[in-house]
Amino acid sequence: MATLKLELLNLIYGGQGTPSTHAVRDVDLVVGDGEFCVFLGPSGCGKTSTLRMIAGLETPTSGVVRLDGRVINDLYPGERDIAMVFQSYALYPHLTVRGHLELPLKAQRVPKVERERRVNEIADLLQIADLLEARPRQLSGGQAQRTAIGRALIRQPRLFLLDEPLTNLDARLRLETRAALKRLQNELSITTIYVTHDQEEALSLADTIVVMNDGRVQQVATPHELYGHPVNRFVAGFIGTPPMNFVAATIHPSANGQVDESSLALVTTGFILPLSAQGTAASDVRGRSGLVPGAALTLGVRPEDLIVGPLAGGDGPRGRVVVVEPQGDERIISVALTGGDAAQTVWKVRAPKRGPGVNVAVGDAVGLTVRPRGLRLFDKETEERVL
Amino acid sequence: MNAHQTQSGRLSQVLWYLPVLLILAFFTFPLIWIVMTALKPPIDVFAYPPKFVFTPTLDNYRRVLASDYMDSLGHSVIIALVSAAFSVVLGTLTAYGFSRYPLRGKDNLFFWILSLRMLPVIAVIVPYFLLFQRVGLTDTLVAMMLVYAVFNISFTVWLLKGFFDEVPREMEEAAKMDGYGPWGVFTRVALPLVIPGIATAIVFNVVQSINEFLLAFVLTQRKATTAPIALLNFLTPMGLDWGGISAAASMLVTPVIILAIIVRKHLIRGMSFGQLE
Repeated sequence: MATLKLELLNLIYGGQGTPSTHAVRDVDLVVGDGEFCVFLGPSGCGKTSTLRMIAGLETPTSGVVRLDGRVINDLYPGERDIAMVFQSYALYPHLTVRGHLELPLKAQRVPKVERERRVNEIADLLQIADLLEARPRQLSGGQAQRTAIGRALIRQPRLFLLDEPLTNLDARLRLETRAALKRLQNELSITTIYVTHDQEEALSLADTIVVMNDGRVQQVATPHELYGHPVNRFVAGFIGTPPMNFVAATIHPSANGQVDESSLALVTTGFILPLSAQGTAASDVRGRSGLVPGAALTLGVRPEDLIVGPLAGGDGPRGRVVVVEPQGDERIISVALTGGDAAQTVWKVRAPKRGPGVNVAVGDAVGLTVRPRGLRLFDKETEERVL
Repeated sequence: MNAHQTQSGRLSQVLWYLPVLLILAFFTFPLIWIVMTALKPPIDVFAYPPKFVFTPTLDNYRRVLASDYMDSLGHSVIIALVSAAFSVVLGTLTAYGFSRYPLRGKDNLFFWILSLRMLPVIAVIVPYFLLFQRVGLTDTLVAMMLVYAVFNISFTVWLLKGFFDEVPREMEEAAKMDGYGPWGVFTRVALPLVIPGIATAIVFNVVQSINEFLLAFVLTQRKATTAPIALLNFLTPMGLDWGGISAAASMLVTPVIILAIIVRKHLIRGMSFGQLE
């Protein structure tokens, strides 16, 4: 049970002659009591470095780590009352499963009887009771992983850290373990930070997701918010499979040079989208900084917000089908946009098995419609979302 | 059919073992020859062509067992064990430090330690002699223990650093998270994982000390003579006592064999630079 607070945390590796890497930049974050928080980002984004600073395995270059209000920067990892599961599980070949579970208790000088009771308790909880005398090389991936989790949880830490714990499991086991982890965390209601690069894992596990890129926190939000309201182009492109489609665009100055509700339109080099027709009220647009006629923007549409239809007249997006990937109950259709610079771009469309786009085949010329409220606009320079 | 299969299975097994046996014969032949010579009556020692069938006698061993040689053998074993212990304990700690902690000029320092091994022994004999004479340690077991420990420590450090480097950092970090301080991490995680390396280092240290001749020849006179020096006593004015020298030499090998048998499980993994699974 604990609240973790990170204040302006920075980590710079190297320096003094060697080129330095600014791995973590100004991370400011609060993880509430009992919260399941996931750090999500591509590799090298600083998520593991941040986790290691919380654990005490890395010393912050600047900034403060607080656990329940107490600054823990200068505490040795073992004194922080934080447990961690490593990606490789870090099991010791010379110890049995029981030995692994006992180790943290021995460090705390827990008496033998109590130790035995807690080992049995956690082994039951994690279903490794019949493996207590086995050594790591005799364990399957899932068993080894549960042993690692057991070792971390046995001393009831205030904070539970997991560094990509599912990476080394096969796909089916990963799903099972994911569910088991979620249940475990719920039951123990222990504050948890989980690092992953897998958005699916993050979306399914997290109460809160912290998206990181290039050492910075991009957005802190619930999975739902993150998907619906990404704050910038990076988050929009990182969350969702397949990723959001992008193309450069500008707001068309209307005939009389005014931002006029009826004539407000989004122009790319390949097509024109009248904003009003997309269910975007001009009042949404007006008053937002960056949304002035002529401003350089990036347009984004999620594959699930696009509808494939027959080629129609007008200036809307259109293209030629290049790939159709069946995915069980849906298909992912890749459409190479035609016209202007946009011709460089391939957009992906998620089409349900029944519904529009059923009959498209590779080579077909198709038109694309954007679902109402399916449009996202980002400033081309700052990449911040403007609509 | 079955019988035929077993037969061909056995045949291929023999074929596999044949090269092993040849190599083994090549390396053990001198040892066997020594033991045979030790067991021969004096008249058979010089027989030509050499006799492989003879009536064995324990006379040579009896003579050696009754002689001063046994004291020297005792010295050798004590010196070897103590200097090995000294060198391995210090070497393990040093190697761990080199493997895990940042240190300015680490590479140079590490190379310097190994370079001690490159020094020809003869170059340091006179300084050692003068040194020990000044502190009154000439012809003592302590002096030999120190000298051998110093000579072997460089190899020990070099060998064990390789083993410590192979211990995954995450394993040590996991122990840190579990609540162990630096010493706990070292003894609970790092040390048990390098046991094969330590076994290898001990055997190497003991073999080096037991075999050493030059330093012992100069630095000991009577009280602390080691077995290789004592072997010279079989070189008498009346001629070379081949039976005696062979019996004595074969006894010199025994402590090493016993040690190797004790640690053999770890030794094999150690010699093959035991990959941690």
